[in-house]
Amino acid sequence: MIRTASTLLENLKTLAYLLPQLGRALVTRPETVRFPFAPPVIPKGYRGRVEIHPEKCHGCGLCVRDCPAFALELQREELNTFKLIYYPERCAYCGQCEVSCTFGAIYQTNEFVHGTDDLAQLVVTLVDRKPA
Amino acid sequence: MTKTVIPIGPQHPLLKEPLAFQIMLEGERVTDSTMRMGYVHRGIERLCQERTFIQNIHLVERVCGICSHVHAMTYCRAVELLLGINVPPRAAYLRALLCELERIHSHLLWLGVLARNVGLDTIFMYAWRDREVALDIMEALSGGRVSHAVNIIGGVRSDVTPEQREEILEQLTTLDRQVNWLLGVVEHERSLQTRTKGVGLLSLQQVRRYCVVGPVARASGLDADMRRDEPRTPYDRLSFNVPMHTAGDVWARTLVRMQETLISVELCRDILKEMPEGPLAVRAPRRVPPGEAISRSEAPRGELFYYVRSDGSDTPARVKIRTPTLPSLLTLPQQLKGVTMADVSVVLSGVDLCIACADR
Repeated sequence: MIRTASTLLENLKTLAYLLPQLGRALVTRPETVRFPFAPPVIPKGYRGRVEIHPEKCHGCGLCVRDCPAFALELQREELNTFKLIYYPERCAYCGQCEVSCTFGAIYQTNEFVHGTDDLAQLVVTLVDRKPA
Repeated sequence: MTKTVIPIGPQHPLLKEPLAFQIMLEGERVTDSTMRMGYVHRGIERLCQERTFIQNIHLVERVCGICSHVHAMTYCRAVELLLGINVPPRAAYLRALLCELERIHSHLLWLGVLARNVGLDTIFMYAWRDREVALDIMEALSGGRVSHAVNIIGGVRSDVTPEQREEILEQLTTLDRQVNWLLGVVEHERSLQTRTKGVGLLSLQQVRRYCVVGPVARASGLDADMRRDEPRTPYDRLSFNVPMHTAGDVWARTLVRMQETLISVELCRDILKEMPEGPLAVRAPRRVPPGEAISRSEAPRGELFYYVRSDGSDTPARVKIRTPTLPSLLTLPQQLKGVTMADVSVVLSGVDLCIACADR
């Protein structure tokens, strides 16, 4: 009898603790979002698509050397003739290239990159330098 | 009584990651169990020897999907010790801030998983909703929800602006309120207590014998926390207590983790308020002088240990990682002995399994 009473008391305590939240849940909006989604809010510093200021690139290859995912390739013919090729599907979007670049040429935008099977988007020539 | 063998895993809804168990039952009671692991072994330690010190920051960040920052930070610290450089104070504060946010996110994720396995889906939903706040802060700070990539050898690469600081402090107030409420639910909810009290017992001797660390050890009465025992900036300037319980069951682990989450929210606030101005990083050479270094830090699941040896080139000669989850995993057959089949899910989620960490 005493045990039943104490259990009942415990249950009432639990209920008293949970009731205010239940009341709040009834009046607040659901946390879930409707599909189709509204455009996502992407933070300013989000690490997205890799881009370059081609005129600033000296073809030193530091970004290629430090890239942990081997997503960059430097094809050099002569001192002033080189190509910097970027493979977005290999990229880990870590931003190491941006950190390593001493000329401030390569950088990351906050643009989200979707997967693709379009060959033109799978191999991107970032810099195609030819002697003037 | 009939004897049955029930296989659990490698693919099982109970487990977040692949791990295989053979549970021997006599009626409803577990008499014995065997464990098989290695399904997510990626050979990261060996791969580290193939890549440069800089490339390895992003490789070790992928050891774990929950505590990714603390891996990269501990590795960077070991390399910085080899190079003999000191990180600027602001960088140390920023690193610690992300560590604490990661702890909040990891513990809330764990609470959700435990509640889900116990059958309390509402707590699971609330815990994962609140975890989203920590993830949002981390995304705004670093540019990524899971892989933060803020560590560079010699410091960090992203900063907190004054506006961001105010915004984070506001979000932390929400988080504090929600975590407090969740702790109250955990303390009041009787069905959670009846499922977790006295289940998955681990004595202090067993904890010492298996070298268990982290919240699992602290729930069994082992007072060990790397933040306090080996204090580095900023933990030597902050005051915080380490929650301890002695019961050694899943209930004690729940309390330890939830109290730790609250302390982490408080630490985040202190770190943001006391963060000094100054540079974010110092220049570090690419080639690392020959030698060896160890580095330890408190990951969400316990002490994380890195050993790095250099032969003077830009590639490490050896990297050894000791993750906190492996010893806790090895105690599982001990914990499972004598529990009923229905409690197996509680025991398995009680230790906070991170199999990717353990397998590497």
